[in-house]
Amino acid sequence: MEILTWILGTLVRGLAFGTPLLWGSLGEIYAERAGVVNLGVEGMMILGAFSGFAVAQVTGNPVIGLLAAAVVGALAALLHALVSVTLRANQYVSGLALSMFGLGLSGLLGRRWEGIPLDHPLPEVTVLAPLGISLAVALWIVLYHTRWGIVLRTTGESPAAADAMGINVTLVRYLAVVFGGLLAGIAGGFLSVAYRPSWTEGMTAGIGWIVVALAIFAGWDPLKAIWTSLLFGVLFHLSFRLQTWIPPEPLQIMPFAFTIVVLTVGARRGGRVRQAAPEALGLPYVRGER
Amino acid sequence: MRWIKLFVIVTAMLLVATTGWAQQSKLKIGFIYVGPIGDFGWTNAHDVGRKQLEKAFPGQLETFYVESVPEGNVEPFIDKMVRGGAKVVFTTSFGFMDGTIAAAKRYPDVIFAHASGFKRASNSATYMADFYQIYYLNGLMAGALSKTNRIAYVGAFPIPEVKRHLDAFALGARAVNPKLTIHVRWLFSWFDPAKAKEATEALLAEGADTYAFTEDSPTVIQVAAKKNRLSFSHYSPMQRFAPKHVISGQLVHWERIYIDFVGKVLKGTYTTQNLQNVDYWWLLAEKAVELGGQPGQAINPLFTGRLKAAKVKTSEFGTISVYDLVNRRLAQMSKNPVAFDPFTGPIRDRKGVLRVPAGKTMTVQELTTMEWAAPGIVGQWPGEPK
Repeated sequence: MEILTWILGTLVRGLAFGTPLLWGSLGEIYAERAGVVNLGVEGMMILGAFSGFAVAQVTGNPVIGLLAAAVVGALAALLHALVSVTLRANQYVSGLALSMFGLGLSGLLGRRWEGIPLDHPLPEVTVLAPLGISLAVALWIVLYHTRWGIVLRTTGESPAAADAMGINVTLVRYLAVVFGGLLAGIAGGFLSVAYRPSWTEGMTAGIGWIVVALAIFAGWDPLKAIWTSLLFGVLFHLSFRLQTWIPPEPLQIMPFAFTIVVLTVGARRGGRVRQAAPEALGLPYVRGER
Repeated sequence: MRWIKLFVIVTAMLLVATTGWAQQSKLKIGFIYVGPIGDFGWTNAHDVGRKQLEKAFPGQLETFYVESVPEGNVEPFIDKMVRGGAKVVFTTSFGFMDGTIAAAKRYPDVIFAHASGFKRASNSATYMADFYQIYYLNGLMAGALSKTNRIAYVGAFPIPEVKRHLDAFALGARAVNPKLTIHVRWLFSWFDPAKAKEATEALLAEGADTYAFTEDSPTVIQVAAKKNRLSFSHYSPMQRFAPKHVISGQLVHWERIYIDFVGKVLKGTYTTQNLQNVDYWWLLAEKAVELGGQPGQAINPLFTGRLKAAKVKTSEFGTISVYDLVNRRLAQMSKNPVAFDPFTGPIRDRKGVLRVPAGKTMTVQELTTMEWAAPGIVGQWPGEPK
């Protein structure tokens, strides 16, 4: 009985911390499936966290807060799309800049809200966790079993072929990146509206980077993102829970080390991870050029 | 017409000359911060100190700062400050220590002061406002208020500073309730709300009901309060974030040190020649630190009743309430020299090794290098001596 509560408690914590990872990585998977790397997840998440908290506090409604977080995340992503798709700047540089911009701007705007507890928070695991899992299933179906999915994947694999098929590559990439930002915004909003629930400058503290890694770890597959997020969430919590018996230093690197190990093993087994990467990932598309 | 022109030019030149002169006569003081000034702990507290310093000497000095300076790369920032005319430079993080000493060698006519370190030079002093006495007082209260006999500490890094605070907290708690255990989690981060949250959740699952911590956000307080658990505020006034659950806490007043130090520089007491042995180790007696979760309130009045009802047997005062004990210890430690120190022997560590012999009190040197764990502490303790 004791051990059962222990396992159950750990799973609940894993689900709680895994939720923002799941929402964030689903968004990143879709953006990268269209061929656009967005390293601005950290920035979009922190902007979502700030706006989600501020709006939820002012309106007294956490759902409206989350919607605001989604809109702000999407707007931030639009910036990345503009720079990297239309202006064809380096996607990595643009994403990094977005991360720094988001951290700076939210820190500046957030001073007044710092530390205040949210009056009406959202429950931690009963709302966004099941919604996120359903969303992952839906996104998997769309990706592999609908025409939209083919359009998205073709754009990421071979934009030239997509263009030849009459697909508007620019439009698809814009939509995918903005959708990714929308989910990243919700992931950030979850942190300030349900997980903490409070606003602190820089509160994402690197979660956005974990999200980028998890998108790759999941092999750009929305279904796999469910268990990779949950696994990382459980390991993150265990790195504190297990401190009763195990020294903290190895525990601190456990979630990351474990991820690398699984990734390496996965890559060795027939190079699945390699194959899954969209062929044109990170490359701006210019008609007539290769 | 020509005369008017000449007059205007001469006046303008005079104006520029005099304001330039006035600016030169003002003492320029630079501050180098490790974090953003908007954080909820260390850097913010230093910046409050800087502003108070400006107010204390109106018109006599000019301060400026850089924030979020990486620990390993402080020297270029010092160079820039000195080029900008700084005559006094405060470097406010442990990791700036070697960079500060190197810069002090390079700029012999500039005065430096480094917070929390132990290396000095003829033109470079050290200073620290330490909390260990306050953690002891917080421990006394935790010992009286814990119902599960399990209290918790979320620590940033297992370094002497945090271990000293944890030990003082544990010694205080066990002075009131010897059956009590102190459960520890390490974050390996000064600021990380997600880590602080999961560490607190792990401790909640273990049944700890009173929380102290070292982390620069109110996360521990708020997560504990959500489960109706009590806590102590850390570094900045955090009581307002959980007014029904914060018992007390630790507050810092860096301005006390800054005003004293700069006053002595202005008077000529401190020069670039005589700082080799200047080390501020300021505590309650110097009013560099304060007991409480908000300024001017040592104990949240909501807990006064329960603390008065809890009785404790002491060899010094007989049987008194914990409320009285806290106040008496506070008064004893606010005297100079102190009438009580938490680290007075005999103290054994949790392995039974005698760390402080009877009748002895730990020296500053011993306090800043201590690694042992006090009895009652449960959990990992990296670097624990055998």
